[in-house]
Parts: sequence; C-alpha cells; structure tokens
Amino acid sequence: MNKLVDILLLSSLMMACSEPSSVEVIQEEKPLFYVPDNFPEPEYDIESKPVTEAGFELGRKLFYDGRLSRDGTISCAECHSQSYAFTHHGHIISHGIDDKMGSRNAPAVQNTAFMNSFFWDGGVFDLDFFSVAPITNPVEMDEEVGNILEKLKKDNEYPGLFKKAFGTEEITSTNFLLALSQFMNGLISADSKYDKYVRNEAGGSFSTDELEGLKIFENKCSSCHGGALFSSGGFRNNGLEPYRRDPDLGRFIITENPQDSLKFKVPSLRNIGYTAPYMHDGRFSTLDEVLEHYNSGVVMTSTLDPLLQQNGQLGIPLSTEEKEKLKVFLKTLNDEEFIKNARFAAP
Amino acid sequence: MFYNGLVLNYLNKHITMKSLLKSGLALMATTLILSSCEKTEMEDPNATNTVTIEFDNRFGAQELKLGGTEIVNKSGEPYTVTTLNYFVSDLKLMNEMGEMVSFPDQYFLIKESDAATHKIELKDVPSGTYHHLSFTIGVDSLKSVSDVTERTGVLDVASYGDDNMYWSWNMGYIFFKMEGNSPVVNVMGGDEYQFHIGGFGGKDAVTPNNLKKVELHIDDMAKVSQSLSPQIHVLFDISKVMDGVNTIKLTETPMIHNPMVGIKISANYSGAFSVDHVHGETSH
Repeated sequence: MNKLVDILLLSSLMMACSEPSSVEVIQEEKPLFYVPDNFPEPEYDIESKPVTEAGFELGRKLFYDGRLSRDGTISCAECHSQSYAFTHHGHIISHGIDDKMGSRNAPAVQNTAFMNSFFWDGGVFDLDFFSVAPITNPVEMDEEVGNILEKLKKDNEYPGLFKKAFGTEEITSTNFLLALSQFMNGLISADSKYDKYVRNEAGGSFSTDELEGLKIFENKCSSCHGGALFSSGGFRNNGLEPYRRDPDLGRFIITENPQDSLKFKVPSLRNIGYTAPYMHDGRFSTLDEVLEHYNSGVVMTSTLDPLLQQNGQLGIPLSTEEKEKLKVFLKTLNDEEFIKNARFAAP
Repeated sequence: MFYNGLVLNYLNKHITMKSLLKSGLALMATTLILSSCEKTEMEDPNATNTVTIEFDNRFGAQELKLGGTEIVNKSGEPYTVTTLNYFVSDLKLMNEMGEMVSFPDQYFLIKESDAATHKIELKDVPSGTYHHLSFTIGVDSLKSVSDVTERTGVLDVASYGDDNMYWSWNMGYIFFKMEGNSPVVNVMGGDEYQFHIGGFGGKDAVTPNNLKKVELHIDDMAKVSQSLSPQIHVLFDISKVMDGVNTIKLTETPMIHNPMVGIKISANYSGAFSVDHVHGETSH
C-alpha cells in the first residue's frame, strides 16, 4: 500500500517536472528477476530455481544477518555493501571476523545469475555453493553452516519465513543456500547510462567524449572486458607484479596447472566507479592507477596474457587523452539505481 | 532351510546356463530332497536380501584406537591417527555368472569415530553367489557437480560439523581424511599431520582426479537368498596409507590439502582394502 502511495506521489511529482517521463515508475514494477534486453541468457538454472518474493526476502534477511558468522558480528553485507555495489569499500583486502585480514579484494555481488564461476580463482562453479566459502573461512565469518541452521531454528521469525519461501518450516542447508542465491540473483544491475544507451532508452544519450571513450574501450579493452557483463569470463594474467613474499597464484590454486599460474578471473567492469579498490588484491585505489598499469606497469611473467605483449611491447599503450576519455566512458557503467534500490538494502 | 537354499541356488545357476540335462538332474535332486523333508518351505529364487559390508580399519593385524595406537612407518616415523574418514560409493557386486548388481546413487561416509558408520547395508540384492565386490573411494564427478537439491544425507555440505569433508574454496568433497600426531612433525610449532584427499577431475577445467576404484575378490563367496543375508568383512590397512606403492614421509609432507599432492596417497590407500571373510548370516 505504501509503495502504491509512493508511486502515485512520484508520478505526480514527475508530472510537475518539465521532463515528462514514466521510466522511473516502470522500473518500480520490475520483477525480482528478469533478463535485461541487452544481457545474455542466464547461466543459473533460473527456470527450476526462480526468484520468488518470499525467497528473495528471506535471502535478504540472511544476507544482512550477523548470525551467519561465529560471533554474530559479520554479515555478508559487511564485505558486500550496497553503496559500493556490494564490495568492501576502503579496504584493499577484506577484513573479516576478529578483524582478521583476507588475502583478496571482495568482488561485487551483481548479476550473479549470468556468471558460471565465482571467486577470483573460480574455485566455485555453482552459485548455490558460493556462500559456504565465506561462511566457513576462518578469516571471514568462521562459522559452520550446520551451526547457523541451529541458530535460525531457534529464532522467532525464520521458521515462518522458510515456510513462506519453501513451503516447510524445516530449515535445511539446501533451502538456506537457495534463499541466499535468490537474493543474489535478484541483484541485477542493468540500468547504467551505458545500458540506456545500448537499449535506446531515455537518459541514454552519450556525449562526444563518452562516445569516443567507448570507441577506445572497444579497440583496447573489450577483448577481455567484452559483452554485456564487461567480462569475457575466463582467467588471465594481466601483468601485475607478483608479490615476492607468498605470491597469490590465482587459478593455479584450483587447477594446479602451471599454465594457470598468476591468472585471475576477468572481473566485470559494471559499477566500476563504486568498487574501488581494484585488482584481486586491491593494490590500486584509483582508475588512474589501473589505466597506468596497462599503459606502463605490465610485468612479464611466463603466463602473461598474449594480448598484453603484442608487437614486442608490454601492455596497452594509452595516451593521456585516451585515458581521460576511457574514464569518462567507464563512468557510464555506474548504475545509481542499483546502489540506491531500497529493495536491496538491509530489511 | 539352509540346505534347501543351496540346492535352489544350484538349480538357478544351471537353468540360467540353459543346460537342460543338468537342470533335469537338479530338478530330480530337488524333488528328492523336497519329498524327504516335507515341512521345509521352498525358497523363492527371485527373493532379494540385504548384504552388509563392514569396514574394519586396522594397522595390519592390530586394532586401531583413535589417538591411542602408535605405529611406526617404514621411514621410521612414529604416528597416531586421531581422525579417519572416507566416502564409499558406486558399490557393485558380481556373481559367479559375471552378472553385476550395482547400487547407484548410494553414498556412505565411513568414520572411524562413529561405529554406526562402519557397517553399510546394500538392500534388495538378488539371490545369488557373489565373488567380487567393487566400490569407489570418493564422490563421483557427476554427483560432485550436481545441484544443491541433490546433496542430501552424507553429501549435505552442512552436515560435517567441525569434522569437515567438503572444500568450499575449491568446491568438492574431501574423499579421504586422515589426521594424527607425530613427534617428527613440526608445522608452526604443532605436531599434527593432515592428509585431506579430494579432487574429482574438475568441471570447467581439468584438475587432478583422486577418485579411486577398489576391486576385491571375495574368496569365501557371499551367498544371498531368501534366508541368507551375508556380511562381508572388509579390512582397511591404515599402515599402507604411508607405505604402499608410494612412500610418504611425514617429515616431507605433513600437510596435504590439495589434490595434486594427494595423488600419491590415493594410489596408496586404494590398495589397502581386502576382504577378510564373509559371515553367512541367516535372516529374513
């Protein structure tokens, strides 16, 4: 009822404005899960495991509940905060329980249904099992899934919420994990200026600089960061200098194949303006540093991506002007509606 | 009753072999026996029964006491075992005629600390005489990539408490886990060694595969009939984990948590099983 009032209010406000637009109102009515027109088909089996209102709401409550950690202090949202496109802002590498440090930069939780591997090294290939890793990691939430289920069973609200979502008050690990997946799959970010540009929607007209930035991006970046998700998927060595002490070998840790040494998952660039710091270990705090890395900082190692060593030159040469225009373009990947959507916030 | 079962077994065998003459003889023999003990019930040749397999973890001939028994490996390193768990799946029994009975989608977790897990029951086994048993140590690749809704019972990733049998960071089950202490081990000041062996071969990339099939001959034969429900006693000789086809030294690899290093250990433990004997227990 309240929502309806809001919508009516919003509509009347809009009518008062000079630019008549019903776009905002339509977006309020978006389903919890949908495939944006410019997106590929989902990787997740969304037909058999759809996002339901009750499942999403249960998942949301769980996502923001500190009881998922050993001492009740660390919720998923601790390292995946909505304001920063569900990343850990201000932390090069993410902090967990007892203020222990992880070894990697928390990736954005967005458009999960369209991905087929998770974590920087792709150690998890099924979203439904993703949550087990941060929950059980001693430096993140340090809890056992079984213990969480016991805590939830004793709670006043959860049994009823599980019944609403799954038709049974019985709290199983399957339903617990599926609820978290439903919430994550509902976190669709597809309303950046860029999206509106490619979909020819209102608010999507690019300036000259943005168009030129896009062109540079397509020429110099999209081989790895291509497609609607701005990631070709896959694992690549992008020439970061490995730390001498205890270097993170990335994908090698999972496959134990020397060819995969120092390779990391190519991240999506969506919401890149909100997700600093950058790289698997958060070593760069600004986009300037990131672009300068590709321009002049690429280091040769045996598994360095072939695209970063063309014509006898390391990296991707970028002029000052090109870097500026790329930054202008990258800003169009910010989805403000995503980070402000009240439906994704703490319940 | 017991005798009658044997005759029927004999009879079944030979009818299936389509040896008319022999089955004729057997029929006569059966008729004779049946008429000589009128009160004996005929066993149903189509009856099924349960086969129990007991996994008995030992050091050679010595019983294992968790945390207690101290053994010395061939490299001269003394050690104890505090945890010993492994998954058993894809069980198959083969009868004398080479017919295979399989038990798909049945997964068992043997834990030395929990006596209730030492015996596993294979239900609805057809009547017959079985001389071969095979099983896999681990959880096959298909199940390892299956949907969360299929991970029930011992495959529920939340079911292990602090005795974890699932790798969340490199998703897959820990097929075999052996932990204990040794005075020769020094890992950050501790004397604990840990062998965690897993790796089903990978989903999107080829990764090390530690799924191991164990093939065992049953010298005693396991006879299943309406009245016979045998128990196959399988021995697992823990001493072979370090001293098998490969020699594992605790001083060299006290901590094994990734599939590649685990290959030497899985090669060892897959050769550590044997069938000791069969109890031909009578039951209905």
